[in-house]
Parts: sequence; C-alpha cells; structure tokens
Amino acid sequence: MSSIEPFNRLVKLAARAFYDDITTKGENQQKIGRSDNRGIAVVILDALTRRQWVREEDLAKDLKLHTKQLRRTLRFFEEEKLITRDHRKETAKGAKIYNAAFAATGDGQQTGREGDDKQKMHTHSYCCLDYAQIYDVVRYRLHRMKKKLRDELESKNTVQEYICPNCSKRYTALDALRLISPYDEYFHCESCNGVLVAESDKLAAQELGDGDDNARRRRHEKIKDMLSKMEVQLKPLTDQLARVKDLAVPEFGSLHAWEARANAAGRSANGDLDANDPSKSSHGFGGTPMPYVGETKVEVAFSGIDEKGETLKSENASIPMKVLPPWMIKEGMNLTKEQRGETRAEITTGGTLTAAKVSDDKTSALANDEEKNIQDEYLKAYYAALLLRQSEQEETMKRQELASATISDEVYDTTTDRLVGMKSKRNEDYEGDDVEWEEAPPTGSTTKQFKVDLNEEAEASEDEDDDDIDWEEG
Amino acid sequence: MFFHMVLERNMQLHPRHFGRDLRDKLVAKLMKDVEGTCSGHHGFVVAITGIDSVGKGLIRDGTGFVTFPVKYQCVVFRPFKGEVLEAVVTMVNKMGFFAEAGPVQIFVSNHLIPDDMEFQPGDIPNYTTADGSVKIQKESEVRLKIIGTRVDATEIFCIGTIKDDFLGVISDPGATS
Ligand SMILES: [Zn+2]
Repeated sequence: MSSIEPFNRLVKLAARAFYDDITTKGENQQKIGRSDNRGIAVVILDALTRRQWVREEDLAKDLKLHTKQLRRTLRFFEEEKLITRDHRKETAKGAKIYNAAFAATGDGQQTGREGDDKQKMHTHSYCCLDYAQIYDVVRYRLHRMKKKLRDELESKNTVQEYICPNCSKRYTALDALRLISPYDEYFHCESCNGVLVAESDKLAAQELGDGDDNARRRRHEKIKDMLSKMEVQLKPLTDQLARVKDLAVPEFGSLHAWEARANAAGRSANGDLDANDPSKSSHGFGGTPMPYVGETKVEVAFSGIDEKGETLKSENASIPMKVLPPWMIKEGMNLTKEQRGETRAEITTGGTLTAAKVSDDKTSALANDEEKNIQDEYLKAYYAALLLRQSEQEETMKRQELASATISDEVYDTTTDRLVGMKSKRNEDYEGDDVEWEEAPPTGSTTKQFKVDLNEEAEASEDEDDDDIDWEEG
Repeated sequence: MFFHMVLERNMQLHPRHFGRDLRDKLVAKLMKDVEGTCSGHHGFVVAITGIDSVGKGLIRDGTGFVTFPVKYQCVVFRPFKGEVLEAVVTMVNKMGFFAEAGPVQIFVSNHLIPDDMEFQPGDIPNYTTADGSVKIQKESEVRLKIIGTRVDATEIFCIGTIKDDFLGVISDPGATS
C-alpha cells in the first residue's frame, strides 16, 4: 500500500476536475432540492481516500452528512465506477468483524458504537475506492472528452446524428434519404413522423439559448476554446495519470477479503505481545485467519465471559469515557488475570492503555453488583426461549425465530447472541480456560456451519443448546 | 472511384434467341441486365467494355432455357470515404442538401456546410453566404468530399462535406444566367 499516495492524489484531482459541481441531477427529478450540495462529492471522495472499506453509516457520521444524501452520492460514484460497494445483511456479529478490521487498519480512530451490538439483521452497505478502475475511468473520460471536442471542432468526420424528440429514435445522416419528406424541409421520424432534431443543434440550443445557424459558428469558437482550456487545466491530472501509470495499483479486494486481511494484519502487528492470546488460536480453524477478534467483542454469552472483557477494553481504549450498557459490563468483570493481560497487550496498540485500564476497573466495579441479576435474567430468558424452541422443534427455522422473538425483544436478542457465540470454536477455547463445565466443544467442522446466519442453523443448533443448558444446570 | 474489372455472371437465355446471332443477343441482354446496377461489393456498374469469354451453355430441364457463364469487362464506380467528387445538387432543405454524382446519392448535412453559408427558405431554397457571392441551390455543381458511406447489397449512399479547402460550388447556374 505504499504506492497509495499517488493514487489518492489522482482521486483528489479527478474529484476536483470532474465532480466539483456534481449535484446528481437527473438521477431523479424530484431531487433537485439537493442542488445546493455541490462540492459534497469532492468531500466524500477525499474522505474515501483516507479510508479503505468503510461502512456507509460511519462515513455519513464522520462527514456529518445525512445517510440518504451520502448514499445518493455514493450510488452516483458507483455508477461512475469510482467505488465498489458491498451490501450485506448482518447481525451484530458481522458488524464486529468489520469493526475489528477497521480498527486493525489503524487509519482513523474507531468510533465507539457499543449500541450497535443490539442490532438485529440489518443491511449494511460498505464502500471503497476502486483505484484500478478509477485509473481507467479517468483516462477514458479524458479520452472521450478530447475526442468529442476534436471531432466537433473538425466536424469533418462526424456523421450528423438526428434524434426524434417523440420516441427518441436515433438516425444518422446516412439515413437521410429515407427521412426526407416531400411536404417540408425537415427530416421525419420513420416510426412516428415526428420532426427530427439534429443532435448538435440540440446541444447548441442548450448551451447558447438559440438553435439558429449562427449558433454553429459560436459553438465552433467555444469548442476550440474549451479544447485548449482543457489541455491546460487538466494538465495536473494528466501528469498524475502518467506518474501513476507504472505503479502497482492498490487493491483492497472484496469487503470480505479485506476484513480477513486487515484483521490478520492487525493481529500480527500485536502478534508478539500476546503470543498466548487465545484469539490467535482462532486462526487455526478454516486455515485462513478468520477475522473473529471482532466477533469476540460482541458476544453476549453468559458463559463467554472472557471475550466480553476484551471487547470492553478495546472499545474503552478508544473511548474511555463512554458509559457502557450494563449487560456488557458484567462480562468485563469476569475476566481472568491472564486474559486481562492479554487484552492489555492489545490495547497498547490503541495507545491509551492507562485510560482503558482505569475505565475498565471502574466498570467492573460497577458491574459487579449487577452482574448476577443480569445473568439470571439472561438465563431465564434463554431458557424460556429454549423451551419454546424445543416444543416447536418441527417448525421451520423462520418460525422459531419469530416465536422466540415474541417472548420479548430482549430475549430474542440474547438468545441470538448466545447461539452465535456458543458456536464458534474459539469461543470454546476461551471458555475452556476458566470454565470447567464447558466440555461439549463443537468440532472445527461444525464451527464452519455456525458462522452461518443463525436463522439457518437454528435446527442444527438445537442439540448443542441442550447440551450447554444441561451443563449449566449441573 | 472508377475501376475497370472483370466480372462473371450466369446468363439465362430463352431458346428463341438460339440462332446465328446468339452471341449478340447474349451481350445485349447482359448490358441490359447489368449496367446501372449496384452491388455493395463492387459498386455501380457503369458500362460493359468487352466480353472475355462465354462458357458452354447448360440446358435447363423442363424449361429449355440455357445458362451461359459469361466473363465480361466493365467499368464500375465505387465511392470511398475521403474521396472528392463533383456532384450536382438535387435538393436543398433546412437539414442540408442532396447531390448526385452519377448514380451515387450524397447528402451534405448543414453542419458540414461552411459556417458562413446560411439557409434561405423560399421557392428556391438555398444556402448563401452573407454577401450573396456564393449560392448553393438545385442544379448547382459542387465539389464535395465523402465522409461516410452506407453500402447495402444493392445500394450505396454517401454523406459528404463541403466544409474544407477547395470544396463547395464550382459553377453557379444562377450567377451565369
Ligand atoms: Zn419518432
């Protein structure tokens, strides 16, 4: 990624050259009200040069833009082939993966969003600059601009085009013989007999306000002017294109690949500090380094105590002052010593170690009292949900979801999180450390399945849940 | 552009022509059939200049017609992009003007007419310079350059420009009369 700077410069130049006064007009007529936002496109592109994959909501937050407005512009950029976007439905888990990846890339501070942990299935959109494509798009755009101007300037080799204003059918001068009418001196559409309009006349009329023949001459002058201006004003851009030509294009890959890579990189950066970090063992399954640090952060598992602490801390690291929701705090206090140490090692990357420690201690103290209550609540809720499930084992997964959801929203949430958490192998590893009763570790192969959306795994997970419950009771 | 070339054609001849002047009849029919036609590949056949050979006739079952393969020399006219032609204006309208160079029809759209020529509607629509010294109307002779051709199997249509050096009116019947 060392070569990213020239490309970012290219993006910035292109943004200012071509998207400065973009108002995404014409996309939809009713969006005219947006026209006072010109310049925003440049801001967004600039912001994207400082990021890699970014969740659009976060970007909107950072830029203090309305999400809708941002989306509209991003959609425009997508059409312009400047960015790639990715949309996926995800639970809190998916968001965590991204958060971890985002933190690992280290560019930009992580905005704390503990609140997000509660979200259910939401579609999130991510976007990222596509440098390779941008390079091509900009070159193509320049080429087209020049060609169009040159052609019009010389107008020797241009075959006049005609367009029917009624049905938008297009003709060229080569069709002229078929288009003449014995009754008047215009060309007529073959389909609807409408009077055809010469395309350049139409343009001229737009630009100059009148379509008479004088327009052609003035237009000619104008084009000549434009062409020479273009050469001069776009010089920095063409220079930058030339500079970038032989450089390796920064490639972030797809969102998923990027997350995996960023997480792996982020972890290896901390690597030596926390060699014993159980999270490292999670690399083991699946062969590829799965970005599950993030996931750990999220788990609301009454047994998955350890991981919670990690979450808290890393989030605390960036935003020590934030008051954490009680249901998260309780987990934090259950941390074992060694895990605490491990988390700290991670925090050091964040930079604010002391602050994190302080807040962590504080939170755990606070949470100590609440913890029992909350855990009990969780258990109750969980059992309720579980019972319901068992009674309805024959039902479709979808139905089960709904059913458990009906008990109460919170129940639904907890069970969801719980299930997700319990299924990951590395979770088991964690738990193995300090909770003896955890002995029913789903094998690595099952882990794969459980990463899949909970909804789809509901049936398969029934048995596992039973096991867990039994253990717990014993 | 004109080409002198050898083409081949299978001629069908009615039995009533079989006799002493069979060959003359064959050539006459060939001229009638071929001259003035247009093939997208070769262009317009302007004139047959000679017969190279007449092959053995083949009598058709049932009809008595005989098919002779004939090789003939001819002059063809094939317009090309970039070629400069002299043509006669046949129609002028607001969109430009049409002209003919022999069998070829050419359309010159108004954006390929010099900018100092304005369209003047009326009984004799024309394009005229501001000072009136140059006028393009029906029957004017113009020198133009072909910038595009549409070649169908049996038709060639061209578009041209007079917006270049040494192109435009070469004689103006309105001015001489
Ligand atoms: Zn039409």
